[in-house]
Amino acid sequence: MNRVTKRTWLMGLFLLVLLGGMAFFLVEYALFAETWVTTVGSPHVYNNANLGTGTVVDRSGQVLLDISEQRTYASDADTRKSTLHWLGDRKGYISASAVSNYAGKMVGFDLIDGVYQESGDGGEASLTLSAEVQNVALNAMAGRKGTIGVYNYKTGEILCALTTPTYDPDNVPDIASDTTGAYEGVYLNRFIQSTYIPGSIFKTVTTAAALECVPDILDKTFYCDGAYEYGTERVTCETAHGTRDLKGALASSCNCSFAQIAELVGKENMLKYVEQFQVTEPLSFDGITTAEGNYDISYTAPVSFAWSCIGQHTDQINPARFMTFMGAVAGGGEGAEPYLVSQVRCGEDVTYEAKTVKTGRIMPQETAETLQSYMRANVQNVYGDWNFPGLNVCAKSGTSQLGGDQTSNAMFAGFVADEEYPLAFIVVVENGGYGSSTCVPILSKVLAACKDVLDNQ
Amino acid sequence: MESLISSVTILRDSLSGDYIGFLRYAAPVLAAILLLRCALPLLTFRREPEIWAWLNLTDGTQVPITHWENVIGRSKTCDVTIDFPTVSRNHAVLTRYDDGSWTISDVGSKTGTLVNGRAVQICALKDRDRISIGGVEMQLQPITARQEARQAELRTKAASGWDTLANLMMLTLLQCLMVLGFLLGSGEEDLPQIILGFGGIIATQWVLFLFYCVIRRKSFEVETIAFFLCTMGMAAIATVKPGETVKQLMAMVIGIVVFLIIGWSLRDLERAKVFRYFAVAAGVGFLVITLLFGTEYYGAKNWLIFNGLSLQPSELSKVCFVYAGASTMDRIMSKRNLILFIAYSIVICCLLALMNDFGTALIFFCAFLVIAYLRSGSVGTVALAITALIFAGVLVLKIAPHALQRFSTWRHIWEDPQDTGYQQAQALMCIASGGLFGLGSGQGYLKYVFAADSDIAFATVSEEWGLLIAVMMVLCIAIYGFFTIRTSRVARSSFYSIGACTAASILVIQTILNCLGTLDVLPFTGVTFPFLSNGGTSMIGAWGLLAFVKAGDTRQNASFAVRLSKKEAAKV
Repeated sequence: MNRVTKRTWLMGLFLLVLLGGMAFFLVEYALFAETWVTTVGSPHVYNNANLGTGTVVDRSGQVLLDISEQRTYASDADTRKSTLHWLGDRKGYISASAVSNYAGKMVGFDLIDGVYQESGDGGEASLTLSAEVQNVALNAMAGRKGTIGVYNYKTGEILCALTTPTYDPDNVPDIASDTTGAYEGVYLNRFIQSTYIPGSIFKTVTTAAALECVPDILDKTFYCDGAYEYGTERVTCETAHGTRDLKGALASSCNCSFAQIAELVGKENMLKYVEQFQVTEPLSFDGITTAEGNYDISYTAPVSFAWSCIGQHTDQINPARFMTFMGAVAGGGEGAEPYLVSQVRCGEDVTYEAKTVKTGRIMPQETAETLQSYMRANVQNVYGDWNFPGLNVCAKSGTSQLGGDQTSNAMFAGFVADEEYPLAFIVVVENGGYGSSTCVPILSKVLAACKDVLDNQ
Repeated sequence: MESLISSVTILRDSLSGDYIGFLRYAAPVLAAILLLRCALPLLTFRREPEIWAWLNLTDGTQVPITHWENVIGRSKTCDVTIDFPTVSRNHAVLTRYDDGSWTISDVGSKTGTLVNGRAVQICALKDRDRISIGGVEMQLQPITARQEARQAELRTKAASGWDTLANLMMLTLLQCLMVLGFLLGSGEEDLPQIILGFGGIIATQWVLFLFYCVIRRKSFEVETIAFFLCTMGMAAIATVKPGETVKQLMAMVIGIVVFLIIGWSLRDLERAKVFRYFAVAAGVGFLVITLLFGTEYYGAKNWLIFNGLSLQPSELSKVCFVYAGASTMDRIMSKRNLILFIAYSIVICCLLALMNDFGTALIFFCAFLVIAYLRSGSVGTVALAITALIFAGVLVLKIAPHALQRFSTWRHIWEDPQDTGYQQAQALMCIASGGLFGLGSGQGYLKYVFAADSDIAFATVSEEWGLLIAVMMVLCIAIYGFFTIRTSRVARSSFYSIGACTAASILVIQTILNCLGTLDVLPFTGVTFPFLSNGGTSMIGAWGLLAFVKAGDTRQNASFAVRLSKKEAAKV
């Protein structure tokens, strides 16, 4: 008997597995329960692939999406179109990752009570977007593809983040059988998911690098006769600009001058400053991670290096990230990281409140201020200050060549140097032609709308 | 009029919200108190060594005999060690019977066992019989009737009737509160079924309690825990398949009848040995019938569709297997007995392999392992068993692609939560959504997922009633395990301790596979949670196993499986 009795320890082994396994699970529960609840497909939170509870409002409190029962979008078609990519569609082709990121907060999840709510009221996510500005931007794009982003570089709030093409979720077009190309990449949120060849807006990066590492750069001048030769290869300008200093080179966007500036800066420094300015790094906010840019000059000939400093070659930037870089320049070398969701409530409780996150200093204040003044001069002398009444706009245009016989992408990036309107922006119009002539009219309307919104706050 | 109706509806709606708010805290608190009250007596009763006889050696030393079955031999692990070269390692077994008589049996010793100078194989001992074991002379002196009565008095009493009554009332209160939750939250068409299901459990537990009162047994903790699990299972069924509550109730009633019959059969060891032959035959019979007439579902042929009822006879075979594996000490020592048991296990294993049911085969295998180890403990046997496990494992993985697929999903469910990991991902999402206190009866979404009332019933309960109650369900099964370890030390016969330990092991292993499988801690095998999962045969099997656990309980007045002492019987 003794023997049999002693051998019952075997049962202890099974009990150990059972209780140990449960303990392991409880630890997992404590660590991951919120992730489980907010994973797509979680039945208490999701409705198919998109969030299935609560409402989403814009910065003025206008309801953009009500998902208490079914997915009900805003009442006017323009708002539905202009905000679709931040809210998600009914079929889950477009995922609203920023809102989904706060699903757990919206349903008021916590480890003790799960998603149980006494009041039964749904959650509410407030976006920093202004539906009004979104609509102005949508109309200004007038059917062209691209993206427009505007954010407050002091607080980080994104006022405008439009991506086109888009469509009305209440009146879904027949996208699958469309052959005109009007809906090409329609499910893509270009602001965060795309990268573009920057073209001349990248010259701001090269300028800042030159200001940083070439000691006597302000005394130097560069001569442009329309082409700068590298043996059989050359960097060209559309016209011969003559003699330019750094400021002038940026204002007239002179490629030949920037080829010479590139030589002064050198490959090593260029790599160093692209990294320091974080121009190609993915940006993360509200659970979104943007596409990663590209600046690769390994194994390049001098001419290719020169083009890389002009924003061509294999350069790629993400619009949201470049807008943030503009914000950092505007903020004197340090800006705020953008965000989209300002507050989440569940019933009466505020379960999330956005906080401003600084980019950290990416360049000395002196450099930033010099660059600011150059970009201000661009607007005053080249793009036309009258386009932006009441706003001290500083900017750089870009016309990024795509190769082949494609029309260039029009790019425009900059900021408002104004305490009251601390806005940084980027405009991309795909195949839009010249940067300034295409983008300035669009931006003019969008910034005016932003100004109104800030004035009315 | 219309406004009146609408205001009544609104009242019901608002009341139901408040009520669920109350119930989600009340239920776990009640359950926790109930389980604590049941667990404490099971886990803390005193286990005094009992002396049943003295062995008087010729040199005047007296060796106390502390069990009903005692191995005498040279080995240190024997109950009575006689360190003398002519004594075999395991020489003889001394057995006491219910009527106080003793026998001695030789278990294949080299030098033989002599009683009054005559070599014997098995011999009933009379007073003053001279026993000679390997030349060592001794006499057995049983304790007197008075000593025996005194010993019985000292033995820990099972809980008083009042405690049991209080526990049962508390369980009934919990059940009533739960029914009220369903009344306020469910659709009208399901209500009769739900009330019938819960009401049936309440009625059954009280009838069983009264029956115990009549046969003068006071311990009801083991049963109360089982009824608690049945109640939670009923709650899952009421949510997922309200139409099947009555079916499950019937299964529970049949299960309790089986529980009582097995308990009665175990009460007398001689009767139990006879029953064992029936059980052995039935165990194979159930599997053969399934193989011949069974239906294949999801690659496993373990269902028998009979008159619209789907049965899983392999669940009942488990109970039979426990019966077949249990054995008294004198038989354990014989090689013939062991070989027969191994042969029987191989037959069962082959039948299971043909059925292609991975989960069941695994449970049988673990049961085999427990029995084999308890019986022999020798390294060789365990090694054999492990080899066989590997064999069986490889075989099953080869022949059962669905099992292989489940292994490949293990710890990877979040890579494809909409397809291969669907059941478990949904289960985890819903468990997390329910939090510690649950979302309330009928408020879950897991009910729309396949097998929400059986394979992943644990998660269904957790979602609606909270993780606290779900964890308590696991603790319930763990209590059975701990209880069995404790009782085995005072068990009268190895038949009981092997039976109880194997049965409890099966319950624990099923819980491990079901619960940890659902939670993606272990691979998902689709095994039922004892007493909880929807499934008639599983329910009957669980109660059958519980009878073995119960039979190990030797507390005074506790188990129907142990006869009342003479004095106790005379008093009442």
